[in-house]
Amino acid sequence: MTVIAAVPTSGPGAGEQFEQLYRSSAADVYAYVASLLRDRSAAEDVTALAFERAFRRRALFDVRRGTPRSWLFAIARNAALDELRRRRRTVALLHEVADDSSELEELDPDLAERRLLVRDGLAALEARDREVILLKFVGRLSNAELARVLRCSESNAGTRLHRAIERLREVCGVTQ
Amino acid sequence: MSRNELNAAAREELAALDRILAREPVGERHLELAALVDSVRAGTPRMDPAFAERLDAQVAARGGGRRRAMLRFDRPAARRVALASGGLVAAAVAFTIVISSGALNGSKQAPHSARALGAPLTRTPAATPTANAHTLSPSVRTSGPVAATGAAGSSFAGLSPTLRGAARLVHRDSTLTLATSPASMQGVANQIVAATERSGGVVQSSNVAIRGSASRASFSLSVPSGRLGRLIATVSALASVRALHQNTNDITDGYNQEQARLADNAAKRAALLKQLAAAATVAQQTAIQRQLSRLEARIAAEHREIDRLLTQGHTATLQVTIVPAGSVKHAAAAGPFTTAFNRALKALEAILAIALVAFAIVLPFALSALALWWGATTVRQRARERAMRTA
Repeated sequence: MTVIAAVPTSGPGAGEQFEQLYRSSAADVYAYVASLLRDRSAAEDVTALAFERAFRRRALFDVRRGTPRSWLFAIARNAALDELRRRRRTVALLHEVADDSSELEELDPDLAERRLLVRDGLAALEARDREVILLKFVGRLSNAELARVLRCSESNAGTRLHRAIERLREVCGVTQ
Repeated sequence: MSRNELNAAAREELAALDRILAREPVGERHLELAALVDSVRAGTPRMDPAFAERLDAQVAARGGGRRRAMLRFDRPAARRVALASGGLVAAAVAFTIVISSGALNGSKQAPHSARALGAPLTRTPAATPTANAHTLSPSVRTSGPVAATGAAGSSFAGLSPTLRGAARLVHRDSTLTLATSPASMQGVANQIVAATERSGGVVQSSNVAIRGSASRASFSLSVPSGRLGRLIATVSALASVRALHQNTNDITDGYNQEQARLADNAAKRAALLKQLAAAATVAQQTAIQRQLSRLEARIAAEHREIDRLLTQGHTATLQVTIVPAGSVKHAAAAGPFTTAFNRALKALEAILAIALVAFAIVLPFALSALALWWGATTVRQRARERAMRTA
């Protein structure tokens, strides 16, 4: 197993580099987890748990199996799915993130309307499609990294992503 | 086209998506996609500032707080210690098995355990000559080769007419193959003869031919049974042991049968002597004397057979063959480096044997654990995917 320099297990730079990964990914991981769980409180717990697990398991990280970011999102995904299994959350996220609507009021009406439309469309998607879009758009993973997180082939990940985008456009009524 | 294959337009759009996410400029036809990305990203939940602070503090404690981090990293270390302990236990078990199964006492280790090699392979307490010697009757004559074996002759003094119960008469013969350099073969041969004489035995035949790599020597030795083990140990120490075979043959039944026949014939002779004393005519006396003559001839033959069996039981034979050594040289003739090298090789052999046994023990457990781990992981992952589908 090759441990990459980006997530060293020991040495003076180990803590700093892990913190760098955290700084660049924390908000995205939280956004992804919260969108999956549709529960802010659970998302906070799962995000903290994901970083805790990542820190503990960084010795197991293998550079040949993906980047640190995809590895982190895979951990976060597993933690989120475990939470879903445990709690069987089905409450719509939009009800809990309604506080963000205040931001929309400050935007251009057309842009605000579009964002609201997309948010509703995303919530209306199947969980699998929503997850792919979140991993790509929020996690900014490459298709190879996406395949690694979803445990499928790269071409399959690309196909799933493209279909999910098409469905999002469809439910949002957006034409290409 | 496979269901996973995308058309050119789709591939182009995905490539544009990667450029958008990398904040690189895209063509006008992908601006809608860029807006979609922007909307999705803008619509995702943001961390509560209080939670962000708590998470920052937690990660900072991980990165900067060495003590806490070290405590966390004690877990893998503890696992490694547990694994090492398990390995040590497995190695100890394997070592015990190797030792108890005698894997380390193979023929190549023979020079190091010459005393052990001297012991009979199928020895029973009753088969020892010492045990026989205490039950021998003084009524049996001693003669022939028994007297020539010196110490063996004295053991005939206590023979009983028949051997019953635990007392057994066992014939032992062994063959020993030694390897030494042609230069030292003559010296080894002389030492074998000397050792045989010291053991109270005789060299029945010998043949020593020194012709370089074709040199060969062979001896047929006869020693008192009780001293065979010591002689084998002494001779084994003179050169490297290539092979040792030991055979035992219980001849107690044959001896007892001869003794029974002898007793019968002795009783018949006594009866004939009575008849001879009471014979009224010369013709009767002549006939009885003829029967007595035949009977005494049989009795003499039975005495000879009994003597032969006793000699066989109390005299062991040892066939020694000396061959020129190839890669294995006699330890005494080799230099200190060669000796150390040979010892290191033997130690490596032992270690390899232990490692193989340990591997054989650990492998099934490891495979089982691996299968369990794989099964558990698969089941858990399927449950996660199911949770995703039902979310």
